[in-house]
Amino acid sequence: MKKSVYLLFASLVLISCISGEPKSLQLNSDACDFCKMTIASGQFGAELITQKGRYYKFDDVACMIHFAKSNTIVPYKAFFVCDYLMSNTLVPVEKCYFLKGGIINSPMNGNAIAFTSKKEAERYQSKFNAAILSWEELYSSY
Amino acid sequence: MKKFGYISYFFFTFQVLIANTIHVGKQYPMKSIHKAIEQSKDGDTIFVHQGLYREGNIVINKRIVFLGKEFPVLDAQRHGEVLSVKADSVVVKGFKIINSGFAALDDPCGIKVYNRTFVRIYNNRLDNNFFGIYLQNCNNCIVKGNTIVSHGTQEQLIGNGIHCWKSNNLQIIANTISGHRDGIYFEFVTNSVIWRNISTKNIRYGLHFMFSNDDSYITNLFKNNGAGVAVMFSKSVKMVNNTFEENWGDSAYGLLLKEIADGYIFNNKFIKNTSAIYMEGTSRIKVEKNDFVSNGWGMKIQASCMDNEVVSNNFLKNTFDISTNGSLVLNTFNSNYWDKYEGYDLDKNGVGDVPYHPLSLFAVLTEKNASTMLLYRSFMITLLDKSEKVLPSITPDNFIDKTPLMKSLPL
Repeated sequence: MKKSVYLLFASLVLISCISGEPKSLQLNSDACDFCKMTIASGQFGAELITQKGRYYKFDDVACMIHFAKSNTIVPYKAFFVCDYLMSNTLVPVEKCYFLKGGIINSPMNGNAIAFTSKKEAERYQSKFNAAILSWEELYSSY
Repeated sequence: MKKFGYISYFFFTFQVLIANTIHVGKQYPMKSIHKAIEQSKDGDTIFVHQGLYREGNIVINKRIVFLGKEFPVLDAQRHGEVLSVKADSVVVKGFKIINSGFAALDDPCGIKVYNRTFVRIYNNRLDNNFFGIYLQNCNNCIVKGNTIVSHGTQEQLIGNGIHCWKSNNLQIIANTISGHRDGIYFEFVTNSVIWRNISTKNIRYGLHFMFSNDDSYITNLFKNNGAGVAVMFSKSVKMVNNTFEENWGDSAYGLLLKEIADGYIFNNKFIKNTSAIYMEGTSRIKVEKNDFVSNGWGMKIQASCMDNEVVSNNFLKNTFDISTNGSLVLNTFNSNYWDKYEGYDLDKNGVGDVPYHPLSLFAVLTEKNASTMLLYRSFMITLLDKSEKVLPSITPDNFIDKTPLMKSLPL
């Protein structure tokens, strides 16, 4: 009995090691791993996890993409961005629609924001006069 | 000729006479600022007397002088902007401006100036606004003597104290700013001066430059800000006679320089910061006659920096004077005073006879592996440090000051 409990604990601990869940950004305390600026806005933030389970935090999607491109040898596991409408909530990039350009003004001039809902993205597209992009398009645009 | 003089004098006085002064206040027939602005003409003066004015957003769309007597309070009750300036050459002086809207997408402000020139904002007190003073696409404006206070907490979204965007020829003088995100923020601002401001206890930076060229900041005090001062992606920024004090924290720097070129850092004081200066991607900067006192790191110079000159500075009581993350040395150090220098001066010319290695072994080790800090001041480390000084193996051997001073400079 005792053994199985230990086993359960051990496996739980191990599972928590490999979980691909994002760690939330601590606003005004965490610094961007690319540009060194303190992350002050939860609307533009981003995060990536490497296959070894290291977390890197960014204040702008552009910083994350520049970071990812500058370290081509490191295998990445997952990319996350903050939903523009839900302050400081990280969501996987695959689920997002991106807006870039127009009157959007992000901390490091990447000028891109993310939405999980396509409807909202389209609503803000006309408001901000921006272009709608997928993650792949956004990635190759920097 | 004399006649012409009389005529022009007459016209001049006539011009003065037709400019009206409109008084607003409890004891005057005019009670509302909105109405006063509506009735005014270009060149008029609106004189607002003491009292509380809750009129929502006040828009100045005429070329007027807008004066407050004994700080009348303009309160927007947390809805939108308090004062919007949409005319050239407006003067706003002597108001207390409180409670703008918060955290909305359109960045509500205490005072916002839209695409204008020669606007002057003097001696106002701003309290509890999202952004304090916002200059958008403005030229030749002066912001002077304002006190800007907010009460942001770490988790909360808050705007900047003085936010300048796409502007030219600005003068930001003698303002006191605290509790905002960045005290003063410059983005795409050129040929401007920031002089004699006090920026304290802001959540992120005391002063923040982004993409702003040919500016100077002179005789300012930056104290106790979340992460010090940052100058990024800018060219030809002059930093003279400022004090950077008590910026503590893992990612806090007295002065953070990133991707900048051709700057000049002269006669500043860096006191009690975690890292006094952090440089990355910085080139052709001259660091001259500064005091580095009681910092964790005096200067952190990343390997991506080149052609910087560090000349005639005092390094006193720092844990590490210099640290770097590479072995390539592209920067020069000359004639500084290092309190850790243990050389001698036989010819008594005030310059040490043996070069000084400012980079200690331990600084290199902690840069590679931060947790080695645990062993700091242990016997073995001191021994290693001493042997490294004699025979450099890990630290680059050309990382030296050939003319270290024997006495500190009187700065």
